[in-house]
Amino acid sequence: MALEPEYSPSDGRKWTETESWPKEQNGLTWMEKFTQQELPACKPILTPGLVITTLISIGIIFVPIGLGSLSASEHVVEIIDRYDDACVPSNGDDEAAKSERLSFIQNVKTNKTCIRNLVIPKKMKHPIYVYYQLDNFYQNHRRYVKSRSDRQYQSPRFERETKTCDPESEIDDHTPIVPCGLVAWSLFNDTYRISTENDPIPINKKDIAWQSDKNSKFGSNVYPKNFQKQDPVGGGKLNESLPLSEQEDLLVWMRTAALPNFRKLYGRIETDLEANENITVVIQNNYNTYSFDSKKQLVLSTTTWIGGKNDFLGKAYITVGGICLFLAIAFILTYVIKPRPLGDPAYLSWNLNSKER
Amino acid sequence: MKRYIYINHDDLAQDLYCDNRISNRKYTLWNFLPKNLWEQFSRFMNQYFLLIACLQLWSLITPVNPASTWGPLIFIFAVSATKEAWDDYNRYLSDKKANEKEVWVVRQGVKKLIQSQDIHVGNIVWLRENDEVPCDLVLLGTADPQGICYVETAALDGETDLKTRVIPSASMGIDFELLHKIKGVIECPSPDKDIRRFDANLRLFPPFLDNDMCPLTIKNTLLQSCYLRNTEWACGVAVYTGNETKLGMSRGIAEPKLTAVDAMIDKLTGAIFVFQIVVVIVLGIAGNIWKNTEAKKQWYVEYPNESPWYELLIIPLRFELLCSIMIPISIKVSLDLVKSLYAKFIDWDDQMVDLETRIRSHATNTAISEDLGQVEYILTDKTGTLTENKMIFKRCCIRGTFYGNENGDALSDAELLNAVSTGSTDVIQFLKVMAICNTVVPIQSNTGVISYKAQSQDEEALVRAAASLHMVFVNKNGNVLEINFNGLLLRYEVLDILEFTSDRKRMSVVVKCCLSGKIYLLSKGADEAILPLARSGQQTRTFSEAVEQYAQLGLRTLCLASRELDDDEYREWSLMFKEANSKLVDREWRVAEVCQRLEHDFEILGVAAIEDRLQDGVPETISTLRKAGINFWMLTGDKQNTAIQIALSCNFVSPEPKGQLLLLSGKTEDEVCRSLERVLLTMRITNTEPKDVAFVVDGWALEIALKHYRKAFTELAILSRTAICCRVTPSQKAQLVELLKSCDYRTLAIGDGGNDVRMIQQADIGVGISGREGLQAARAADYSIGKFRFLTRLILVHGRYSYNRTAFLSQYSFYKSLLICFIQIFFSFISGVSGTSLFNSVSLMAYNVFYTSIPVLVSVLDKDLSENTVMQHPQILFYCQAGRLLNPSTFAGWFGRALFHAIVVFVITIHSFVFEKSEMEEVSMVALSGCIWLQAFVVALETNSFTILQHLAIWGNLVAFYAINLIVSAIPSSEMHTIMFRLCRQPLYWTTIILITMAGMGPVLALKYFRYTYRSSKINILQQAERLGGPILSLGNIESQSRSLEKDISPLSISQPKNRNPVYEPLLSDSPSATRRSIGPGTPFDFFQSQTRLSSTYMRNSKDN
Repeated sequence: MALEPEYSPSDGRKWTETESWPKEQNGLTWMEKFTQQELPACKPILTPGLVITTLISIGIIFVPIGLGSLSASEHVVEIIDRYDDACVPSNGDDEAAKSERLSFIQNVKTNKTCIRNLVIPKKMKHPIYVYYQLDNFYQNHRRYVKSRSDRQYQSPRFERETKTCDPESEIDDHTPIVPCGLVAWSLFNDTYRISTENDPIPINKKDIAWQSDKNSKFGSNVYPKNFQKQDPVGGGKLNESLPLSEQEDLLVWMRTAALPNFRKLYGRIETDLEANENITVVIQNNYNTYSFDSKKQLVLSTTTWIGGKNDFLGKAYITVGGICLFLAIAFILTYVIKPRPLGDPAYLSWNLNSKER
Repeated sequence: MKRYIYINHDDLAQDLYCDNRISNRKYTLWNFLPKNLWEQFSRFMNQYFLLIACLQLWSLITPVNPASTWGPLIFIFAVSATKEAWDDYNRYLSDKKANEKEVWVVRQGVKKLIQSQDIHVGNIVWLRENDEVPCDLVLLGTADPQGICYVETAALDGETDLKTRVIPSASMGIDFELLHKIKGVIECPSPDKDIRRFDANLRLFPPFLDNDMCPLTIKNTLLQSCYLRNTEWACGVAVYTGNETKLGMSRGIAEPKLTAVDAMIDKLTGAIFVFQIVVVIVLGIAGNIWKNTEAKKQWYVEYPNESPWYELLIIPLRFELLCSIMIPISIKVSLDLVKSLYAKFIDWDDQMVDLETRIRSHATNTAISEDLGQVEYILTDKTGTLTENKMIFKRCCIRGTFYGNENGDALSDAELLNAVSTGSTDVIQFLKVMAICNTVVPIQSNTGVISYKAQSQDEEALVRAAASLHMVFVNKNGNVLEINFNGLLLRYEVLDILEFTSDRKRMSVVVKCCLSGKIYLLSKGADEAILPLARSGQQTRTFSEAVEQYAQLGLRTLCLASRELDDDEYREWSLMFKEANSKLVDREWRVAEVCQRLEHDFEILGVAAIEDRLQDGVPETISTLRKAGINFWMLTGDKQNTAIQIALSCNFVSPEPKGQLLLLSGKTEDEVCRSLERVLLTMRITNTEPKDVAFVVDGWALEIALKHYRKAFTELAILSRTAICCRVTPSQKAQLVELLKSCDYRTLAIGDGGNDVRMIQQADIGVGISGREGLQAARAADYSIGKFRFLTRLILVHGRYSYNRTAFLSQYSFYKSLLICFIQIFFSFISGVSGTSLFNSVSLMAYNVFYTSIPVLVSVLDKDLSENTVMQHPQILFYCQAGRLLNPSTFAGWFGRALFHAIVVFVITIHSFVFEKSEMEEVSMVALSGCIWLQAFVVALETNSFTILQHLAIWGNLVAFYAINLIVSAIPSSEMHTIMFRLCRQPLYWTTIILITMAGMGPVLALKYFRYTYRSSKINILQQAERLGGPILSLGNIESQSRSLEKDISPLSISQPKNRNPVYEPLLSDSPSATRRSIGPGTPFDFFQSQTRLSSTYMRNSKDN
């Protein structure tokens, strides 16, 4: 065992001993031990036994955890469907196609309905989560993430607190926009309707936002005002008769993502979907992601204890565990092949050292 | 530049010169804030933080709430300012006390009691016995009819003996009452700080004696802060007042000392600053490019088309603010805190308490403890530092008979006691000289106990010894001395005193025996000043042999002699002496010449040997510290032989054949030059040999060498590990310190007297011994200790631990700042290089000043090795001396670790919390938790000994982190509302944290283990040896083995000098031809000297790397 508590550094104080202050080791109070820097201390050292045991146990614990989370991830059924390129008339890479796409999406009058057919690969047990995924969308951009006013959202009293919301703080006649700021202004507004064969599958959009947001962050008496009333119009519009706390899509959107690729909850499907079942998704493709290099995807996913499908954690656990085991074996081998006694005074010769150098 | 002072003239010169208000204050009430702020902002780090704080006020660029910088900044400044204000307030209080002290001053011809601060130049001040002198005075009258008074000047120069002061001849014999009305003018120089010079003239106005100008010297003055002793009263005219006194002028605010560690930290800070600027420029450019290419397309960001002129600067400035945490603001507070704790540990240390005086060690300067661990040169005073400065009469040789040789103490030598009781004339005459030939003042207390006040400790020792041999010097009544010899009262009238000067090296008195009327000349002095003056026919061989023998033993010797004078001879000489004494020009030289006319044909009575005992543990201390690779220089005002003897007896230099002394001497430039070259040559040759070479230099040669051959002398100083400088003045001591400092060595000066003050202030570390020569040195020093031997503990324990702890603490501070900063930088790459902060203001501030500062603060309790191990293996100090634990390469290690950990935290966080989990606040909190866990384990891994406090701080901090964040998460208005609750419920959070911790610590642990076991440093080996409890082969064992080995192979080298009697072997010839002289054997040579040499070169080499 490497942990050797040393309780008394005073054995053999040599020449100071004769005159040292009268003291008994055990008679010292805690304060005295502190002032004399003689608090009892445990002084572990890195013995081969300790280190190798630690590494092996890390390895032994990590590999199963890794396998467990990998299999959990395997059990998640996930359907990802990219629809942004399919739901616009032109798909070319040239400038003309791009501007055509842009004018299509920006024109309010065009019919943006788009129908996608998906096959369920495996049986999906409810609840099935419906997400929309945006790639290369910088919700974490500094200009964007700061452009909000939490106080305004909370209470009508702070309606005019829009200083931080620039450039979407107020409309021309200096009346404040509620909710102000770029984040709210750029609200995602694609909609999905899912049906099997001919039966519609209801998507439950209740309780998709955080309960805390509904309860305290967004006021139940704050109603949208002047929202999307001036050019340029950003994203979705809000129902002005509902308070902010009940605009759950807005609340989800306002929880900004830290990564440029993110998914946000659209709703839940409360029924199971069988394998090989064909489903149809009717998409209202309203949201503009065509001005920049982005992707829009619809995601249907089940969930397990680690959340959605994510192999990273499992692989990382196995890698770290493996490395630890490898290091442990390497250290055991070096210990067997080239043992080096700890604290050997032979290495201490100060003379030897200077010659070595 | 002169000033004319009109004595006792109330109207004149009132406003010309300042009043006597003393002020040691640095600030006034009005200038405190601006001046203090100005001083604080003269440090680079503070300017930097201020700039950052100001930039943060611009909300366009600030990533976080400005309060996160302003809060700590204001706190830090407030702490420093409060400390300064408190110190200044205390100075103000002590000034006030001195200023409001009441003194008697003549105003309008009447004595009045006024406050000290109202004294003006020209006022006549009256002092009574034991009064403190309030300002610099020219003495006008005393209670003594001879016009003499005694002063104690300890506060001024540290000398505790009494000095005599006389009134000027012009005011001699003026009646007590008339002194009130005295008028006159004093012409004196403008104030200066020379306490040994006062060249002025006095002229009294009628009706007082209106003779010519009366010259004034320092002997006619009473300087501020001296005490009047043994004199009923004295009065004088104020010449310098207030801060213009000699004391006030020499008082300077000592420059704050900066430790090597501080300098290194500043350097590293500079490097980090440069790195930061580079990062800012790169990211700033990248950010602007991204903005212009990508961000314009991101419609939701709504970049305006036209932008203000400073648009290009915004992103770089944002990154500057984001990266500003790279330089940890907490490091200053943490360092200040732990440094004051280091100082407290020194104050508290029970093993550094002087048991006799109960004086504790004290760290006056709390900021330089780390330097103690990096000392390379120790410059030590001899008397009172290495020795106890308790002069004790030990042996004597009277007319060829040695007393005290058997038992080492003449006072208990039966033979001598017998001789005294039988009344041997030689012995009695010898004792009489001991008792009479001095300037000692006996003071009889009420209880009848006689104590002596003497100018020199030697004289006091002689008088005491005489007293214990029944020749008691009872009383001094004017000029008549009373001696009680075995109950018989002898009276002697002192006719003249031929004073001691360093040129004459002897002093004599002419006394008349009141009984027989015979006149005697009694002398004592150095052998070379007395023995050649023996009467023809007297054999002085035995005396010179005695002197040699005593010097060999490290005793101070004095030769005593006497001569009976004829009445006529004396009368004739007396006239010449009076005449010489009244000369205005060349007085000293003339007096010396006249004295010489009387001092001849001596009857040599004998030699007295006085011991100045070494302090306890001095040889052990010196040998331990030399093993630790510290070089010793001895700087003493004492003479060469004594210095060398003391050096030998305290392991300072080793005797032959290991040691070798080279003499550097000469009276002229040429001689010194030749001598210096010779010494250098020898030094270069022997430097390769494992030999302990030291050089000896006296003050005169040193003066020339420093003036004309500074380069050569510097080379010598670097080559030589040991030096003995004798007969050096205080300013030369300071010059030598300066010389070593200019070669970039860390110097520690240790001394006890006023003459060491300059050296102590000059050195990197000044240590004062609170000894018998007053507290002057201790007060000026950074550390004061009671005994020389505490130096071992001060350096090896306190210095070493302080260095180790600061090295860890400072690098760790950078590590944790870099860690979080790297994460911010990485995050900027996935946030469109726009300068978004991943962490919120609260987290950032708490991370810097709380989560990461508390655990590391308890590293002040960390001990890598136990005190015993360090004491047994002092060589381990090399690691501190060479700065092995804090230098650019160790720092690079920490930098790398910060980078690695940042990558681990960042990569794992953004891959675990992807897609629907990538909510900003959550990701930020996961990354922050990862950092906190990692840093807890880093501290744990780097801690060598865990006391309960460390466990509490490290793991308690982790618990506190969660507690605090859970509390903050419970506050609805906070940005982090419910975040921590949500996270703690998720298994994903915990698996991620464990993964981060293990992925971060695993490789670090493995690397550390590998180096610990297979590339172990000496510290590691000693740790292993100490803690595995195996047999520690201590140095003692190795030492003894090697010694026996050495003895076997080197009989040749010691056989040669063996056939000469070591006692009579002269130590060191003074003749210039004998540059190399060996020291006789006798003490065992030290094997480890050679090893330290080697290791020290090794240490130097590695330092250069």
